[in-house]
Amino acid sequence: MNAQAQTQPLLRVENLAISFASIEAVKGISFDLLPGEILGIVGESGSGKSITCRALMGLLPGTAKVGGSVRLDGGELLTLSEADWCAIRGREMGMIFQNPASHLDPLRRIGAQVAAPMVRHLGISRGEGLRRAASLLEAVGIREPEKRLRSYPHEFSGGMKQRAMIAAAIGCSPKLLIADEPTTALDVTVQARILRLLKDLNRERGLAVILISHDLGVVADICSRVVVMRGGEVVEQGPVAEVIDRPRHAYTRLLIDSQPGRKVLPQPKAAPEAAAPLLGVERLSVSFPARPGSIAGFGTRTADVLALDGVDIHVNAGETVGIVGESGSGKSTLARAIVRQNRPKSGSLRFDGEDVLALSGEALTRFRRRVQMVFQNPYDSLNPRMTIAEAVAEPIWRHGLADRRAAAKQADELLEMMELPAHLRNRKPRQLSGGQCQRVGLARALALKPQLLIADEITSALDVTTQAQILELLMRLQRERALALLYISHDLSVVGSICKRVYVFKAGQVVETGPARQVLSAPRHAYTQELVGSLAHLPSAATTHETGAMPHHAP
Amino acid sequence: MNLLSILARRLPQLVAVLAGITIVTFLLLRLAPGDPARLLAGDRANAETIAAIRQQYGLDLPLWRQFLVYVGNLVTGDIGRSLRFQQPVADIILRFMWPTLFLAGYVVCLAVPPTIVLAIVGARRPGGLADQVIRTFGMVGLAIPVFWLGIMMSRLFGVTLGWFPVSGYGVGFVGHLHHLFLPALSTAIWMVPVLTQSLRAALIDRAGADFVTAARAQGASEREIFWKTILPNSVLPTLNLLGVMVAFLVGGTIIVETVYAVPGLGSLMVAALLGRDYYVVQGLTLVFALATVLVTLLVDLLTGLIDPRVRT
Repeated sequence: MNAQAQTQPLLRVENLAISFASIEAVKGISFDLLPGEILGIVGESGSGKSITCRALMGLLPGTAKVGGSVRLDGGELLTLSEADWCAIRGREMGMIFQNPASHLDPLRRIGAQVAAPMVRHLGISRGEGLRRAASLLEAVGIREPEKRLRSYPHEFSGGMKQRAMIAAAIGCSPKLLIADEPTTALDVTVQARILRLLKDLNRERGLAVILISHDLGVVADICSRVVVMRGGEVVEQGPVAEVIDRPRHAYTRLLIDSQPGRKVLPQPKAAPEAAAPLLGVERLSVSFPARPGSIAGFGTRTADVLALDGVDIHVNAGETVGIVGESGSGKSTLARAIVRQNRPKSGSLRFDGEDVLALSGEALTRFRRRVQMVFQNPYDSLNPRMTIAEAVAEPIWRHGLADRRAAAKQADELLEMMELPAHLRNRKPRQLSGGQCQRVGLARALALKPQLLIADEITSALDVTTQAQILELLMRLQRERALALLYISHDLSVVGSICKRVYVFKAGQVVETGPARQVLSAPRHAYTQELVGSLAHLPSAATTHETGAMPHHAP
Repeated sequence: MNLLSILARRLPQLVAVLAGITIVTFLLLRLAPGDPARLLAGDRANAETIAAIRQQYGLDLPLWRQFLVYVGNLVTGDIGRSLRFQQPVADIILRFMWPTLFLAGYVVCLAVPPTIVLAIVGARRPGGLADQVIRTFGMVGLAIPVFWLGIMMSRLFGVTLGWFPVSGYGVGFVGHLHHLFLPALSTAIWMVPVLTQSLRAALIDRAGADFVTAARAQGASEREIFWKTILPNSVLPTLNLLGVMVAFLVGGTIIVETVYAVPGLGSLMVAALLGRDYYVVQGLTLVFALATVLVTLLVDLLTGLIDPRVRT
């Protein structure tokens, strides 16, 4: 600690205050960043962490009022002119963003985009820029860099796009890289690799990094110090181990406890094993036609893409079953096939003994009532023109279960059950927070009193703290309503904390299945091992807060 | 992967569209009232003359045989003889086509530069004074009917001031430019506001895009960001709109051509329709359809050139 205090900080933020019109977004925060250090900034959305790092880069819109002081290597940044900023951005400090897909120019080749900052700042030629871009792409772990220079962003996967963004950001060897939620939009295994890349760059090049995340696990993984923000203020800062082992502020404790897997939520006793499962999926295959229009468009048969390849799963009444896998593994295709939105190529689908694929007319409507689905993006899945009370009441009267007035009354009860304050009932979806909106989505799904609820990534767009609340609510509902739950997620730790059994999906197949605890602690399949290994853990997850901590799923 | 694949994908569509148009034009004309043979023979012709003319033009054959003959002729490049001018329709259309094409090109040249300038000025400060003024004038330009504007301008610039000729096509390139200035201007005045609003909206939208923030974070100057990132990402919707407008222009310059007496396809169309000149109308419809299809294809190719995502 003393040795560190002697070194001059690379970046010193003092009393930074940012306001928009009358709203104070950041209220006078201070922190230091030492050269070659990785500093984490944690907080939920609205805590001001993203605005803070945009202020560090001078990227706030003109309407923002910024006060205080930010010094890079002793030089004040906040008073810089726009031209001076242009000389520093990309040269002294680089930045990468949450969604790499939308931050790359879709019309320009990757090579040109990676080379652009170097051509701009270092005064090198385009050809030299491209040559250096190739070695940068290689340095960030993109194979065949020469060939990839000529690719366009849409030909890259999410992880590769983020790597390209990193390559562009470190081209001019900046001293500081600001990473704003760099892995939030990515799969867990990709997330682990990107974090490792950041750490390697930090070690090999002495690159200081500010990592902004809502996920304490990610920060704990690679940062040496952490700043915890809430409501525009720094509530706590210090070395990672210290903050996590001995959190002083109540909010930090809440963040730690909200980490998925920290707490085993009480799981309902499974209903006595029924002879036949509630939902039985056998050898189900779903295929999509490959994209038309490729070279051999005429005459030749294009091979279909198998999104699901002979999948067997079953869900008993009242049971919670998890499905884990990365994007593209077929999880959502399965969910959509169960509710008959995708037509299977082969295989059978039985619900409560009935052949789902053969249902039609009244029987199909009855099936739809009994199986309900909740989606990932709560805003997109609700009609933006309906108030939330109307949205919840709609399925009730539409299915003829009650007249409109009785439906409205039931909707109120449902919203109350979701712990949504009564004064929100006349709001439109976009006037709610993500967590509140997802509660409405749940209420709407439960309005028809289903027996099976399919939850497709319902918490992955939410903050950790909100996620923890939604999961708790879900478990309570499941207990009270004897609901069977099919929980789909890319997050193994969430699934591990609420599900009894899990299925691990990869490339349309089930690669591993078994009791959640066993799959998490002793994964057999190589892919599951990689998934478990990719989990970002709090370093002392097993030793602190024994109150309900999970019996070790050591990394 | 490249433009050729777009071409390969579009060509079958093109053929299908043309086949459809052929059938529709053929039927529409045959079902329209009025007997061309009688018209051709004149008021006092006797029944025998009319029958002879009918036979000569194949108008006495059953509909499907007329159609087969028609298609057969089309394939060999013969789109018939004008009943009125007694000349091959292809020759007539070719003769009348150049003024119209020249006019269409002229309009595009007059409309595109002000569109780009006005859209950029408007998008720089949305809702600002310049933006409001541009929008108001745009509304006025849209609201004024083309024919009224045409007449007013020909009176002011042509008759009162004597700067520009008020009718005809002129001789030589400069002559064409001089003669067609007023017709092109009155058409462009109607197009510019629409194009400007489209480009302005796209510019404002793209200026807030994430990749613009990223470029800024990499130290690009505002100028560089605008020309290299925002503008290329914004032109596509407007390019498509322009394509539709140009396709429309080829067949839709009737009003301006009539007002300014330009010997173009529009004038020919009016004359052919009034004279029930079957084969000319048919040929013109075909040419209009072909022009639309070709312009659309051109826009698709340009889009592919700009946006790599379309190429795959």
